[in-house]
Amino acid sequence: MASVTYDKASRIYPGAERPAVDALDLDIADGEFLVLVGPSGCGKSTSLRMLAGLEEVNHGQIRIGDRDVTHLAPKDRDIAMVFQSYALYPHMTVAQNMGFALKIAGRSKEEITSRVAEAAKILDLQSHLDRKPKALSGGQRQRVAMGRAIVRSPQVFLMDEPLSNLDAKLRVQTRTQIAALQRRLGTTTVYVTHDQVEAMTMGDRVAVLKDGILAQCDTPLRLYQQPASVFVAGFIGSPGMNIAEFKLDGTDAVLGQARVHLASATLTALAEEGADRIVVGFRPESVDLVTENDPDAFPVTVAVVEELGSDAFLHGWHSDLPRGDGTGNGQIIARVDPNHTPAKGSRVYLRIQPGKGHFFSVTTAQRLPS
Amino acid sequence: MTTSAATARSGDVLRRSADWARRAPLLPALIFTIVVTQLPFVVTLIVSFMDWNAYYPDERGFTGLTNYKRVLTDVNMRDAILTTVLLTVTVVLVSLFLGLVIALLLDRKFIGRGAVRTMMITPFLVVPVAAALLWKHALFNPEYGLLNGMITAVWRLFGSDHPPQPDWISTMPLVSVETALIWQWTPFMMLILLAGLQGRPLDVIEAARIDGAGSWQIFRYMTFPHLRQYLELGALLGSIYIVQNFDAVFTITSGGLGTANLPYTIYQTFYQAHDYGRASAAGVVVVIGTIIIATFALRTVSSLFREETSR
Ligand SMILES: Nc1ncnc2c1ncn2[C@@H]1O[C@H](COP(=O)(O)OP(=O)(O)OP(=O)(O)O)[C@@H](O)[C@H]1O
Ligand SMILES: [Mg+2]
Repeated sequence: MASVTYDKASRIYPGAERPAVDALDLDIADGEFLVLVGPSGCGKSTSLRMLAGLEEVNHGQIRIGDRDVTHLAPKDRDIAMVFQSYALYPHMTVAQNMGFALKIAGRSKEEITSRVAEAAKILDLQSHLDRKPKALSGGQRQRVAMGRAIVRSPQVFLMDEPLSNLDAKLRVQTRTQIAALQRRLGTTTVYVTHDQVEAMTMGDRVAVLKDGILAQCDTPLRLYQQPASVFVAGFIGSPGMNIAEFKLDGTDAVLGQARVHLASATLTALAEEGADRIVVGFRPESVDLVTENDPDAFPVTVAVVEELGSDAFLHGWHSDLPRGDGTGNGQIIARVDPNHTPAKGSRVYLRIQPGKGHFFSVTTAQRLPS
Repeated sequence: MTTSAATARSGDVLRRSADWARRAPLLPALIFTIVVTQLPFVVTLIVSFMDWNAYYPDERGFTGLTNYKRVLTDVNMRDAILTTVLLTVTVVLVSLFLGLVIALLLDRKFIGRGAVRTMMITPFLVVPVAAALLWKHALFNPEYGLLNGMITAVWRLFGSDHPPQPDWISTMPLVSVETALIWQWTPFMMLILLAGLQGRPLDVIEAARIDGAGSWQIFRYMTFPHLRQYLELGALLGSIYIVQNFDAVFTITSGGLGTANLPYTIYQTFYQAHDYGRASAAGVVVVIGTIIIATFALRTVSSLFREETSR
């Protein structure tokens, strides 16, 4: 087992003007489960393939433990990878698939058999060992791909969206199994997904990428509570954070009748910037349903209420803003008590809970101190 | 109940007549095809059970399986069958091997790959008779052929005035025929194998590389099993054609010096011995052999398709 370090690693595809991965700096501790997440095309797979040795590193370095692997061939890196497509060897049985790496490494037949049997037991594949991949279900193929990785006991596991071909229920189930398996084996793991729920539930830490640049890398909770930029704030959380541009009014930020109090640190930062506007974000659960008389209440017209059983989410728009206006379109999502949901089309009053706002600079989109 | 049955029946009748209206325009073509392809075969089949020799017109009549017995026991015919098998197997195996090597080379990216590929294919586009003539006169000829010309040039380079000038066709007749055929069939094998190589799933190769396999191991454990069906397909299609080869044998050696294969022997039996019955029987034997090989070929093709769709 080993740590993994990306040291200003970049990948520029031939013919591309922009790097697909731009000076990526990441330190992954020994035994850590790190999730790379981001929208499609942000360079997650490329980062992972650079670590695997399947993609050239144009600038910077990648280290596994103390070893500089930047220019090593994949076979010399002691890593195992689970592909999105699983990439099982079609003409080999499940047992041969799992034992292939050991066979190449020249291990004895007995050792291969026993290690494959052990992995098959962990993954509940014992009864399928003699089948070809073609004769397996999607979930079973996924487990064979996992088995192929764990049989080798490599230094690092790499997984590129290993769950995206499974149905929703199986995905949730397998997600917990993989996380538990990783804890048990204690192998350093880099896991790529575009699903932020997967990222939040599985990772020790989550690295958010955008356009090949690392936006933030932190624990799931801190990503949620302290997003470093407007992008991370909007990307993490489901349903997403309400984000809108507010005007500065004395020590408050206002948008229509909505009003948030700003801390003095935030005001100082704004004054330094010379800005009279501020990006304010607040999560759906940081909004209260109040009466018209409440001092900071703002009116909202209810468009729909999504009822999920344990929760209900109100989707509406600021009644006192012109609709379709630039500032977040005046749209707002709020979590409400599922037992007392307001009627569709009705007008309600909401208030942003004090101290629950996230503040970002209009010019840099970075988080402001508060 | 009865009315609905009646309408159903009239519906059936209507549909059937509509079907026939659609098929009718195709009938002339179908009849033509049957007349041109099936009738000659039926006639051949009938003649193969007859004693029919133009030199002995009085003995014409049905003789049952005598012709077949003679085809399979006659020394000439047995030699011809052996030659056919030897010729086919050698040509198919060597051209498969060469085709594989060239396909592997062409599978890499390099400048001018398209041009090289096109040039590699050209031997397959040359008319077979023209190719055979080319080999016989331009290459194998002991006096002015390219091969002996090159030997002379190389010997001169080392200061020798007495280069060996072998008469290729008379010293190694079968090898000469095989060489010409291999030259023509290698591009065909290469095309099939190149298609197979380019249909290789890339992620599987990447997985193998991560699992520690080097280039040779990837070829041995990933590429080769993947190519197996393409190799089978190439071998079977090649066999179908080479079993029937006539042009090369007729042109290069005229069937002499033990190079007469079955089709050539049939030709001789028919046009020189005028033994139509025996020639027909031998022809039927070739057809049966070809059908057996073709059945395997079709099976390989359909298993290839199954694989493609299940992926
Ligand atoms: N082989 C390639 N050649 C050129 N550009 C590429 C290549 N592979 C990827 N790219 C580009 O690099 C960028 C990052 O691609 P990458 O596959 O890493 O995205 P991703 O984050 O994995 O996206 P997804 O979630 O859709 O899988 C994209 O803009 C893509 O177009
Ligand atoms: Mg990807």
